[in-house]
This record gives sequence, structure tokens and C-alpha cells, in this order.
Amino acid sequence: MRLKSIAGAIVFTGASFFPAFGMTATPERIRVTGEIIDTWCYVTEIMYALGTAHHKCAVWCAIGGIPVSIKGDDDKVYMVLKFEGDDTSVSNPKVLTIQSHHVTVDGDLYVRDGVNYLIVDAVADDKGIINLTHEEYGIQPFGE
Amino acid sequence: MNRYACAAYALVVSLSGAQAAEEWGIDHEAIARVDAKVVDLLCEVTGDCIDQCGEGKRQLGLLFDDGRLVPVVKNFDIFAGATVDLISFCGKRITADGLMISNPKMPMFALQFKREAPDGKWSRANWFIKEWSKANPGKPGAAWYKHDATVLDVIAKDGVYGIPGLKPEDE
Repeated sequence: MRLKSIAGAIVFTGASFFPAFGMTATPERIRVTGEIIDTWCYVTEIMYALGTAHHKCAVWCAIGGIPVSIKGDDDKVYMVLKFEGDDTSVSNPKVLTIQSHHVTVDGDLYVRDGVNYLIVDAVADDKGIINLTHEEYGIQPFGE
Repeated sequence: MNRYACAAYALVVSLSGAQAAEEWGIDHEAIARVDAKVVDLLCEVTGDCIDQCGEGKRQLGLLFDDGRLVPVVKNFDIFAGATVDLISFCGKRITADGLMISNPKMPMFALQFKREAPDGKWSRANWFIKEWSKANPGKPGAAWYKHDATVLDVIAKDGVYGIPGLKPEDE
């Protein structure tokens, strides 16, 4: 009886107890459609950071080890931690080749402390680069 | 403050090993010196853990005593992240000096200096270029992004706009 009470208390308090101590949360299965972006340049708005205008810089930043995200069509930023079974999130060779692409992916979403962490299981669609921003913004950031 | 006082202050700062982050003029930024544990983000968030935080292949973050987790997205080098600077501190508490960027799109930390807490030796968060220069002797580290073999391969294949065949008009 006493064990049952303790177990019940753990189950009852678990939802609020675990997150405070950094335990993992249950993911939400999700489909995200949007553009593969460089997280730093886009979030900080340190320069124009979408589409063809920013493609070369996005490649630099991904190879430099800055996290890659998907800027969803819902305007949310989803930081990619795993891609099609590969847990390399620093300069992932596959992800390098699809910088600035407009993709639809399926995966697991974990939201923690204001960050959307995405585990990409599969790319359902890849339209390539369709955001032709260079005519308006040139080549970011140096114009060459 | 006259020039002698300035020189004396600079000397004291340099001798004491004190470091201080600088503002970058980014929206939502605040200079921050914080103590936190360096963690593997994938492990911390999902429970998918491997040895030594992935030994450099995984993104890292700062885990605060209250359970708050903040990704470290940038170091002090141009176009570079902070994994190279932080990987040797995996699982350890550090004092991170830099910018806490509390952007509603996504909070993040930009690292400028780091040391093992509480009293390790300060170092600037510029180890990406140091490591790149070791791996690319004779090439200018300050412009690593113009000389990196992988960068050159990707751009040669897809072009600066990422679309094969689409080139700047003046070429």
C-alpha cells in the first residue's frame, strides 16, 4: 500500500517535476514545410538571410558549425539536431547540400525553453531553391 | 581618464586575465557572464546520448542550475559556431562570457570567452579558426570561408546562389 502511494505520487508529480530537472519531454510528431536556413544570420537579422541572396553565406555558416534550422512557412524556427538518422548536427555533409532549399520534412519536435528542436526522420519533398531573393538583395553579406 | 590612467587600467586588466564580452548591436542581446554546464543538445533534449557529447559532431548548449537550456550558436570567429570551443568542456561547468540573445524567435548564446568554472584560465572563443588553420597550413585563417575546400566544392557545384547555372550578371 505504501509502495502504491509512493508510485502514485511519482506519477502524479512527474509532469511538473521532470522538466525542472532536465528530463526529456515527449516529442510531438510533426510535418514541417519551409526553408533550410542558417540559424544565426536569420534569427539575429544581422543581414538578410533567406533564399539565393544568402545561399553562399548559409553554406559558410553551416560548414563553420553554426546550427542549421528550418524557417517554417509558419514563421517558426526549427533547429535541426538529427537528420535522416544521422546525429551529426555540426557541418552535416548531407545538410550542406540542401542549404536554402524549400523542403517538407517529417520528424519529432521537442520544445524546450523557447527553442523548437527538430529530429528530422525523412525529407518528404525537396523543391530545391525557390526563394529567388538575389535580385533584390544581391549577394549577402559582401556583395560578391 | 588620461592616457597614463588608460594604460594602467589596460595593464591591470591584461595581468588579471579579466575578459569582457563586447556588444554586437544585435536586437535582444545582453552582455552576460554565466556559469552553466556544457551539454550535448541532442542528449539533453531527447535522451539520445553518446560519449563526450559526440566529440564535436553535435551541437552544444548551456544547462543552467534551474534546468534552463540555451543553445550556444556562435563563437567569436567569423561564420563559425562554438562546438570547437566547448567540446573539451563537455559535462563540465564553465563560465561563459558573451551575449545572451533573448530573441522571441529563438533564444541563443553567442560565446566570446570561456573558462572552466570557477577559476580556470580564460580563453577567447576563437578556436574554430585555430583548428582550421592547423588543418590548412599556409592558408589565411581570417578568411577561412574563402579557402575552405568543402566551401569551394559546394559553391563550384551549385554556384553562389545555390542554383547551378545561375550566376551574377557581371560575371
